Amino acid sequence: MSVEPFNKLVKLAARAFYDDITTKGDNQPKNGRSDNRGIAVVVLDALTRRQWVREEDLAKDLKLHSKQLRRTLRFFEEEKLVTRDHRRETAKGAKIFSAAVAATVDGQHPKDGDEKIKMHTHSYCCLDYAQIYDVVRYRLHRMKKKLKDELEDKNTVQEYICPNCSKRYNALDALRLISLVDEYFHCESCNGELVAESDKLVAQEGGDGDDNARRRRREKLKDMLQKMEVQLKPLMDQLARVKDLTVPEFGSLLAWEARASAASRAANGDSNGNDPSRSSQGGYSATPMPFLGDTKVVVEFTEPDGKGEDIKSIAESTGLKVLPPWMIKQGMNLTKEQRGDVKQETMMDGSLSAAETSDDKKSITGNDEKKILQDEYYKAYYAAILEAAAKQTEEMSNTQMSNSESSASSSRQVGIKSKRDEDEGDDDVGWEEAPVAGNNANENYKVNDLNVEADPIADDDDEDDVDWEEEVGTVSASIRQYSSSHLGCVVVMPYPDLKHGMVLTLLFPFWFQKVVPFEFFRSVKHVYKFNHFTYY
Amino acid sequence: MFFHIVLERNMQLHPRHFGRNLRDNIVSKLMKDVEGTCSGRHGFVVAITGIENIGKGLIRDGTGFVTFPVKYQCVVFRPFKGEILEAVVTMVNKMGFFAEAGPVQIFVSNHLIPDDMEFQSGDMPNYTTSDGSVKIQKDSEVRLKIIGTRVDATEIFCIGTIKDDFLGVINDPAAA
Repeated sequence: MSVEPFNKLVKLAARAFYDDITTKGDNQPKNGRSDNRGIAVVVLDALTRRQWVREEDLAKDLKLHSKQLRRTLRFFEEEKLVTRDHRRETAKGAKIFSAAVAATVDGQHPKDGDEKIKMHTHSYCCLDYAQIYDVVRYRLHRMKKKLKDELEDKNTVQEYICPNCSKRYNALDALRLISLVDEYFHCESCNGELVAESDKLVAQEGGDGDDNARRRRREKLKDMLQKMEVQLKPLMDQLARVKDLTVPEFGSLLAWEARASAASRAANGDSNGNDPSRSSQGGYSATPMPFLGDTKVVVEFTEPDGKGEDIKSIAESTGLKVLPPWMIKQGMNLTKEQRGDVKQETMMDGSLSAAETSDDKKSITGNDEKKILQDEYYKAYYAAILEAAAKQTEEMSNTQMSNSESSASSSRQVGIKSKRDEDEGDDDVGWEEAPVAGNNANENYKVNDLNVEADPIADDDDEDDVDWEEEVGTVSASIRQYSSSHLGCVVVMPYPDLKHGMVLTLLFPFWFQKVVPFEFFRSVKHVYKFNHFTYY
Repeated sequence: MFFHIVLERNMQLHPRHFGRNLRDNIVSKLMKDVEGTCSGRHGFVVAITGIENIGKGLIRDGTGFVTFPVKYQCVVFRPFKGEILEAVVTMVNKMGFFAEAGPVQIFVSNHLIPDDMEFQSGDMPNYTTSDGSVKIQKDSEVRLKIIGTRVDATEIFCIGTIKDDFLGVINDPAAA
């Protein structure tokens, strides 16, 4: 969906039709200084570089008076080139918009102004490309039709004028004008003989209605038609080019805001290391939190003993009611249900995998020993698998040691939060600083869930920390390596009964494409009965 | 365009018409009064096709006349801009020609007549093509397009064109 051809169309149309439009108040005197011709073109050009924009901001950018801008925009609204939206909102509401704009236009963050509770009416405007295309086409069509009709004398009501008293009549008066004496029309007041007035276009030339004037008029019209063809050729070419393209559609203001902020989340998520803790502290309350939304991992459990149901309910609750966290912003009206789940997830400091939530729930709900035993078992099993994997990817681990270490620490931090706290103990201090390191390497977040499963191993097997870190590191490093060339990887690990497995699905496309639809993750539901550890 | 619509009218009836034939008298008077009239709103009333109902009569003070509200169905004809009509030429002059399509008068000015037709004066003024194959004179039938209407309270007048595809003479009385 490229906007470029459409922008060119807008620019051409602006120069063709709105070049000498003045938007002047009726009371303003006409003098040189208030001559604002060309402003229409400037405004349209500016709008091609934006999407939805608050009119005040636009005025500021263009260094125009907002009244003047509004007059121009109202004109364009009437011309159906621009859609506008007005809403009453607080300063805070306006900030939501600013955040969305910051995401689309350039990376600058809005400043946290003093918050007034006062409501202001803000106007927003945006080009309506679909309509512009139609409007321009219709305008050209009308122009051509008018000239052609004029040329062929179609649909014109002939006018007659009395040379004596210069009273004017038109053909609709014909019935009253017929004289009984001769075949001419006669003036009602002075009974003079009427002459047909040739068309308005040459009326100012003083054509006297004879054949000569008619011929001259025809030539003039033909000339105009030709000039029009030549001068508007670029515009018509552009129209033809645009014809089969899909029209960029920004939707209504609200929809666009939501979308823009979603896109910004994805963009932030992989370009800058904006730290989630900082944004959650409210330094930039309206800036999207970069990592919150990047839920990239879906884990599916199937267990015969009813655990599956637990997970299902989670999947459902994330499905319809709960908004994806990147859509939730301050100032949005959400039910508690919508927010509830998310709050829990945000507490986990950025990782939102279903695995953790489900883990949490399990530890809360099913506290019976059997489950714990099973958990321990598969953790141990998993550790063994990791070891095997580590051997396979030893070379890689050597080269990427430094990275993997940071990733391991960050992931451990996350993992611990989701696990029971009893595992932590004295290592706590070392882990506290983890997020700082972790945030520099964005990819680590995708690995989180792997490590979640992995980290209790350290306790179980009584290994020393360095060894463990290395292992997890190699796994994450190899996943990272795969990420550059593969679409995703599925990590399968068995349950103690060895009939069922747990699948971690890591999806990489978000590296390449910024927005991954939330539904996509929901739709991934693979369960394999594998008992080994695989990359795809 | 023709429409079949229901109209209402208050009929004043002289007491001498009262009696067995009261209803018939009302209807015949209605037909005499209404058919052939023109209202700017509905167009020309061409014919009454039926009586919907006749309301209760009201005796006027002093005169003895009785007013009946009558609802009747009728066919009306109202010309519209852009409509194609067939009309009979009634008069030809230098400025163009007049034609009638039923009750409506249409004027076609000379610049809405194709350029290749020239005015020929004489005792039978006409518009003729240079090769003489097509001739518009009195009583010719022409197909024309209405490009403008003037609607007054009791009168409708149209101007038409024959300068378009498939318009012009459809039957030449001289040739027939």
